[in-house]
Amino acid sequence: MTEAVAIRGLRKVFEGRAGAVEALAAIDMTLAEGEFACILGPSGCGKSTLLNVIAGFEAPTAGTAEVFGMPVSAPGPDRAVVFQEASLFPWLSVRDNVTFGPRMLGRPKDETEVLARRFLDLVGLAGFEHHLPDQLSGGMKQRVGIARCLILNPRVYLMDEPFGALDAQTRMQMQELLTHVWDEARGTVLFITHDIDEAIFLADTVYVMTARPGRMRSRIVIDLPRPRSIELLTDPRFNALRAEILRQIREEASKAMAAIAAEERARR
Amino acid sequence: MTAAVRRAGLGGLGLGLALPVVLVSIWEAAGRAGLVPQGILPAPSLVAEAWWAWAFADPGMGLNPYLGTWGETVLFSARRVFAGFACAILIGVPMGIMIGWNRLVAGAVDPLIQSLRPIPITAWLPFAIAVFGIRDAGAVFLIALGAFFPIVVNSTAGARDVPRNLIRAARMMGANERQLLLRVVLPAALPNIFTGMRLGLGIAWTAVIVAEIVAVKSGLGYVLWDAYYVGRMDVVIADMASIGIAGFLSDRVLVALSGRVLHWKQAVRA
Repeated sequence: MTEAVAIRGLRKVFEGRAGAVEALAAIDMTLAEGEFACILGPSGCGKSTLLNVIAGFEAPTAGTAEVFGMPVSAPGPDRAVVFQEASLFPWLSVRDNVTFGPRMLGRPKDETEVLARRFLDLVGLAGFEHHLPDQLSGGMKQRVGIARCLILNPRVYLMDEPFGALDAQTRMQMQELLTHVWDEARGTVLFITHDIDEAIFLADTVYVMTARPGRMRSRIVIDLPRPRSIELLTDPRFNALRAEILRQIREEASKAMAAIAAEERARR
Repeated sequence: MTAAVRRAGLGGLGLGLALPVVLVSIWEAAGRAGLVPQGILPAPSLVAEAWWAWAFADPGMGLNPYLGTWGETVLFSARRVFAGFACAILIGVPMGIMIGWNRLVAGAVDPLIQSLRPIPITAWLPFAIAVFGIRDAGAVFLIALGAFFPIVVNSTAGARDVPRNLIRAARMMGANERQLLLRVVLPAALPNIFTGMRLGLGIAWTAVIVAEIVAVKSGLGYVLWDAYYVGRMDVVIADMASIGIAGFLSDRVLVALSGRVLHWKQAVRA
């Protein structure tokens, strides 16, 4: 299988007023083409930083990120990003938000119209084309955020806790929607989350990160059948995976606590 | 809006009218009772009479400058405000966006703007007359300069405060620098730009009166000072009211325009 994403020796240090903070220590990982990967880790472990580097929003301090063999140097429509806050353009209608990318890229107009209709249908927003983002609920905004990525026909989808700000009910709906969309559209996905259930439900593989500075702790294959539905949450195999991942996360969390305590002691 | 809120609004309007009506009545009564010298503060009825003649009377031989000349006087001032304000927008908005967007431009241009900004518009008068003479250009220059500062400063803030993720979203969707500026930074900065334009328009009306008093021989500012010199306080007061009305109406036009352009902000409130 082709390597869709290849991260080698990736390190990221942020220079701040309070000194340097090492967000990512040394990340090595590869995603196969068509893989749905979830990255799971405690908050502050550098998950989002990793995504920002692959998106081209931030430059690594050391190491490389490659997408289909091309080193990442800047953001581009081959790597579509779904942000945690949908980050839609509030002055554009739902449809114009979705067609923004193709219009910037100068893609043919009539083809774009057809695709916009198709993807708005797919995410369940038919009939909302002329609404403004601020007239939509959080879940609906995120659907627009997904549709505007689908229309780009990217090689990789990067999703940065896209459902993190939604209420539990909506979040579950969106997870089902996303598996449904993914069954249809396919593509390589890197999905950042701190929600274990979400990771298992969506992913082919779950990567557990360590506490800061972030490293890859383990890679867990989720061999649950697709298409997946919400009933899966009560499946014994699901629960077994959940228990194992929870154990690893807990270990990382307590390590992080210990590190903070040690830092405190050192300061005194 | 509910009917109750609308009624409250009308009630508020009635309340707001009460105080001016009372003050004008006292002023009128005091004038008729001979308590105020009419050469200094003519009664409202006399002001209204003079204003009517200034607006509608037959100019006759054209010897009395305050007969039938109100319309052209207002137009002279309004044209200067429009010209100066348009220049301020055409220069101030693009410059502000570039300063807010590009650190290099900010470093090169912003210190100059910040050091010129504290100079009051009135202090520029001798300079404007020396450079442009007693002509329209001097007035337009002053108006443009006065309106320029709030417009450039607010455009800068608008362009600087565009949410980072909107920029990132546009970039990942393939927007180039030009598209980013025109399709994202400019629309995102528009609310600030309109705020700057409203402030600038207010200053433009101040500047046109000052410029017309000193630097040109027509318009509401010129008539204001000229009428004072010949002791026509009724015309002076009518002129002041005219300036107020012109300023108010032009602001309403700008607000209506911004409501139309920023319809996406209105939609949220509705």
